[in-house]
Amino acid sequence: MTSAPLGGRQRSDHGSSIYDLGYRGYEGPRLGRRAAVAALLRHTLRTAYGLGRSARSKIMPVGLVLLATLPALLAVGVIVLFAQFAQSDAAAGAADALSPVRYSTVFPFTAVLVFLFSAAQAPELFGRDQLANTLPLYFSRAISRSDYAVARMLGLLIALLVLVLAPQLILFIGRVLVAPDVMTGLGDELPQLPTALIVGFIIALVVGSLAAAIAALTPRRAYATVAIVAVFLIPNVFAAILVSLDIGVFGQLAVLLSPADVLDGVNAFLFDARAENITVRRAGLDGWVYLLAAAAWTAGSLIVLLRRYQRLAT
Amino acid sequence: MSLVALEGLTKRYPGGVTALDGLTLTVDPGIVGLVGSNGAGKSTLIKILLGLLDASSGSAAVLNLDVATQGLAIRQLVGYMPEHDCLPSDISATDFVNHMARMSGLPSASARERTAEVLRHVGLFEERYRPMGGYSTGMKQRVKLAQGLVHDPRLLLLDEPTNGLDPAGRDEMLDLIERTGSDFGIAIIMASHLLGEIERVCDYLVAIDAGRLLQAAALGTFTQHTGTLIVEVDERPADLAAQLEADGYTVRVDGSQVLVVIRGDETYDHVRDRVIELDLALTRVEPRRASLEDLFRDDVPGEEAA
Repeated sequence: MTSAPLGGRQRSDHGSSIYDLGYRGYEGPRLGRRAAVAALLRHTLRTAYGLGRSARSKIMPVGLVLLATLPALLAVGVIVLFAQFAQSDAAAGAADALSPVRYSTVFPFTAVLVFLFSAAQAPELFGRDQLANTLPLYFSRAISRSDYAVARMLGLLIALLVLVLAPQLILFIGRVLVAPDVMTGLGDELPQLPTALIVGFIIALVVGSLAAAIAALTPRRAYATVAIVAVFLIPNVFAAILVSLDIGVFGQLAVLLSPADVLDGVNAFLFDARAENITVRRAGLDGWVYLLAAAAWTAGSLIVLLRRYQRLAT
Repeated sequence: MSLVALEGLTKRYPGGVTALDGLTLTVDPGIVGLVGSNGAGKSTLIKILLGLLDASSGSAAVLNLDVATQGLAIRQLVGYMPEHDCLPSDISATDFVNHMARMSGLPSASARERTAEVLRHVGLFEERYRPMGGYSTGMKQRVKLAQGLVHDPRLLLLDEPTNGLDPAGRDEMLDLIERTGSDFGIAIIMASHLLGEIERVCDYLVAIDAGRLLQAAALGTFTQHTGTLIVEVDERPADLAAQLEADGYTVRVDGSQVLVVIRGDETYDHVRDRVIELDLALTRVEPRRASLEDLFRDDVPGEEAA
């Protein structure tokens, strides 16, 4: 017992030491703002899927992802069956062409789940810190108010991207494996992948920023959830009415006031497919108009989000 | 290096409330008490130092860094324990403090290590794995202190750290603060409306009232002899006061006490003689020590605000 005790302060005269570890300072690295923002983003993504939380908070997000992959799983199952029992490759190809679940239709099929995911999780990510009054603790640390808002938003965006892309990935893997040989499969399917990624990103961006902006406006979870569901499911009704009235270009443009319809338009435009949504088909706008509208919705949402956090009293 | 330097710092809230009114002040490192009644501007000052609020005019520097332009750098060196509740109820103290360490830029392994360290320091053991919703006020205050300490700040800003605690909890919290400040060399600014707490823990005191600086000095200077004699009599203090006043002393009556400004050693004899002449029952004669309360009282004779 000759070595000095670690941070020990009390030492008796008998050569023995009392190991009072006491308080030790921290001499290690301080990674600063960037690392803090990255950690917040990671934390947000984990929270969105209930990781590190109770089992109950995993049910909703994980359940929605499973539901969203269901159509893709069924489609792959059907393709596999046809590939096994079809008399010829041509017959299998025909069955494949008839399948309603394609890269271009995954989003129209799963849109409601994407909206529900954002309505369930955005209030958790943005309202909690307001409700518990935790924001002053964040804002008195290495990050700025905008850093906080952006990190939370990006976390939600990535969480949504997982949800949007999971079915596309299943479809992709299934179709590659069913092909006569993997190389042909890859040759057929790979060219579709960039479009799926881009469309997925735009969907996650629009839904994520809009849900974030709404959720940031109130600490009350229930209000935020209802408002987010409403913004995705109610304007389409009015848009449908206005478009079907056939009152000229302003009636047609009404479709852009519905974020859900805008995303449908973007999906159809980029996949070069027919829109699944009847309002979008009737409006008959050029595809790039939907891209512009998606950009406008995103920009507007981000402005609301950032201003909210600039002004939030702490 | 100064801990905090303020120059004409003013904060007006929209709606015309002036929370801070031209505060000019330099404070050296140590345990600093920031005292004032509710609404005196203590929380506002702390929030401006942290960059949570912008000043209306004037300037402020913390650890020689300017609040307006170097806020981020300041906040990496400073820990903050707010007055209000700020803990989410459904996660554990360990998870929360660890997360806050990451938000201060600590790497993940260090964050875990520091979390264990500070939670032990504040005296939170088995409970730290339970959701914080079930914590007592005392435990919550400890967690709030721990999250402010987890990144080993150079300066800790505490806003009413004993808020809501019972007397025992109050004692423990004050001990903890004192140890944190004196043993570990972390400078502390502690706001409180309770003078007793400041007196117990702090070695420097800043008193503000209605946003203005009342007094800033080492604590010892507040409790020196004041040059006033307390004479306590059982009855008729007014008679004694009248007599002494007639003798040319500055006198004030406060209940059964007569406060007399001491003019020299002969004052004691003079008072004694007058008491005997008036046939009063004398209970106590004692030179008056200043108490911190005097800061907020301007009617003590002969002790005009320094």
